Amino acid sequence: MSGTGPRENIFPTRMALTNTKLRLKGAQTGHSLLAKKRDALTTRFRAILRKVDEAKRKMGRVMQLASFSLAEVTYATGDISYLVQEQAKSASFKVKAKQENVSGVVLPAFEVDRVPGTDFNLTGLGRGGQQVLRAKEVYAKAVETLVELASLQTAFMILDEVIRATNRRVNAIEHVVIPRLDNTIKYILSELDEMDREEFFRLKKVQGKKKRDTEAAEAQRKLLEQSEDVTSFIPEIEGGGGDLLSSKDEDIIF
Amino acid sequence: MATTSFKDRNLLAVIGDEDTITGMLLAGIGNISQNQKRNFLVVDSKTPIPHIESIFEEFTERKDIAILLINQHIAEKIRPTVDKYERAFPALLEIPSKDHPYDPAKDSVLKRVQKLFGE
Amino acid sequence: MEALLFNVNAGFLEGIVRGYKAGLLNQGHYNNLTQCETIEGLSATDYGNFLANEPLPISTSTITDKATQILVDQFNYLRSNSVAPLSKFFDYITYAYMIDNVILLITGTLHERNTQELLERCHPLGVFETLPALCVATNVEELYRTALIETPLAPYFRECLSAADLDDLNIEIIRNTLYKAYLEDFYTFCTSIGGPTADVMQRTLAFEADRRSINIAINSFGTELSKERRAKLFPAIGRLFPAGNNALARADDVEQVRQACEGVSEYRAFFESSPGGSSRAQNGGASESTARLLGDYGDGLEDLGAAGELEDRFFAYEVHLNKMAFLQQFQYGVFYAYLKLKEQEIRSLAWIAECIAQDARDRIQDYIPTF
Repeated sequence: MSGTGPRENIFPTRMALTNTKLRLKGAQTGHSLLAKKRDALTTRFRAILRKVDEAKRKMGRVMQLASFSLAEVTYATGDISYLVQEQAKSASFKVKAKQENVSGVVLPAFEVDRVPGTDFNLTGLGRGGQQVLRAKEVYAKAVETLVELASLQTAFMILDEVIRATNRRVNAIEHVVIPRLDNTIKYILSELDEMDREEFFRLKKVQGKKKRDTEAAEAQRKLLEQSEDVTSFIPEIEGGGGDLLSSKDEDIIF
Repeated sequence: MATTSFKDRNLLAVIGDEDTITGMLLAGIGNISQNQKRNFLVVDSKTPIPHIESIFEEFTERKDIAILLINQHIAEKIRPTVDKYERAFPALLEIPSKDHPYDPAKDSVLKRVQKLFGE
Repeated sequence: MEALLFNVNAGFLEGIVRGYKAGLLNQGHYNNLTQCETIEGLSATDYGNFLANEPLPISTSTITDKATQILVDQFNYLRSNSVAPLSKFFDYITYAYMIDNVILLITGTLHERNTQELLERCHPLGVFETLPALCVATNVEELYRTALIETPLAPYFRECLSAADLDDLNIEIIRNTLYKAYLEDFYTFCTSIGGPTADVMQRTLAFEADRRSINIAINSFGTELSKERRAKLFPAIGRLFPAGNNALARADDVEQVRQACEGVSEYRAFFESSPGGSSRAQNGGASESTARLLGDYGDGLEDLGAAGELEDRFFAYEVHLNKMAFLQQFQYGVFYAYLKLKEQEIRSLAWIAECIAQDARDRIQDYIPTF
């Protein structure tokens, strides 16, 4: 019974039993706490998941609109891509990261940080400037959607990771730690029971021996009464028996 | 893991075809650092795939990039590298391009989403 | 007496160009094109042959490239068969592309880009011998002395030598200064030819100049371009010149631009925002849906949508003028008009292809039909 399943390698004493029981209690509390955390995270995760899915689909449409506005630019101005590539200097469209706390998990969220830039202001001055301006706005808006999506996605990745870790821990506690502690407790209990029985048996044995000895002594005494010569041997036998018992006792206790 | 460094990340980077890049640059995300390092890469049919991969690696290693945008059809070219990428920073986002409409089935993140929904 | 001698030198070419003109897509073709399901469907027209050797899938840029190639071939054929002063006229037409190429190269050079790559992107009509040499220049003065002095553009550059360094703002200003000088020069040249050529070309170029003026005025709102500098970019020709140009130079918003154009009846129509029965009507509707999807930018986009409409009306009017050019014989205007019409056709083609590719069928009617 105690040999089945893994258990901790400790001596089966009352002290160890108390300790192990405390640890089991701790593990159970931890398990329920982690499970709660997991549930909270999963709720959040589900919400984000839905949003990611939605945003990804929205992105498809927004980007299509954006590239269409670029097509309008090309229609009115001709190919400006090269000029635009060359004129890019420093970003006027940046993101800021901020944090959000969900059940102890730090989720980053990106925020658009847009400074009115003067880049490309004069692109298409001769013609098509309005389309360029329009494309700029549409694309800026599209990129905002992308940034939003990126925050969601990052949150998704991190939450995914955290939920996995939490799940691992919950499962580890549930399926490894708790059974092991259980086994240990059972082991200790069984060992202690075993010891009890041994002790009982030993006492019985001692009692039986003592009874036999008394009987023998009684018989001896009766014999002695009949013949006074043999009496001097008895103490020797008693001393030998005492030695044997004490050494055996030590062994068991040890 | 990433909470320590993401404060400095404020740029977006793009790997895309010419039209996508032009649009993104119009929106104002273009940035050229002092040592002439750009945060965007124009990919056309002549761009060798190892080059795209190396730029992809470079962008993901850079400490100032918060979001990396990549055209889906280009991500498709370096799919193994993209699928291997699992870090949260910079956030990797696959975006549609003009000539290649968005296909949710190919998106590495959306694939995971779908898997989780279908579990 | 133009008519008597015209055919000696230019009669053949005029015949050719009128033949080319017959090859332009007409409304029927366009209607067929807009019904296509995929870009590949576009090859079901006269243009089919030139796309035959292209690997699938065909992209919009491929179509544009190929169509431009046809245009360039036709133009080069006309040009190589021409004699003075018609050859000079053709030269003038190419100057506009040369200006764009020069600006492109300067921009590229500023950012230390590969020259070869840049040259590939130059418009084939505007390539000239010393073009690659431009890449060595670092400021306007040097640019002028080393490379441009040899080219026909040299006189135009004289005006913008004051611009000390080549930053991006200046480049755009240089481009427009050059273009202004070019337009004025071309105008003078056409006037010097006289006869019906002068009539037709003056009309076309005057409109081109006015269009630039109006565009520059509208596009410079809210930029660092000062009003004095803005005024310098307006060509000193056109029907708005001088009073209208002065008003444009002072204008602060679209309303004032509109007032500046009141004096010319044709231009007044451009600013009337009532959609009327024109195909532009869909434009507004589309931008509304854009605005809805993009949220709070709605108002701004509506404004921009109206401005975009203006641009379209300019295109439509340009096409109208160019068609008018074909009504008159014995003049050079047809060549210019054909080139512009062909360009418009390429744009329309690209637009339709784009609409098909991006599945934006509600906007597919927004091209400008040529005939």
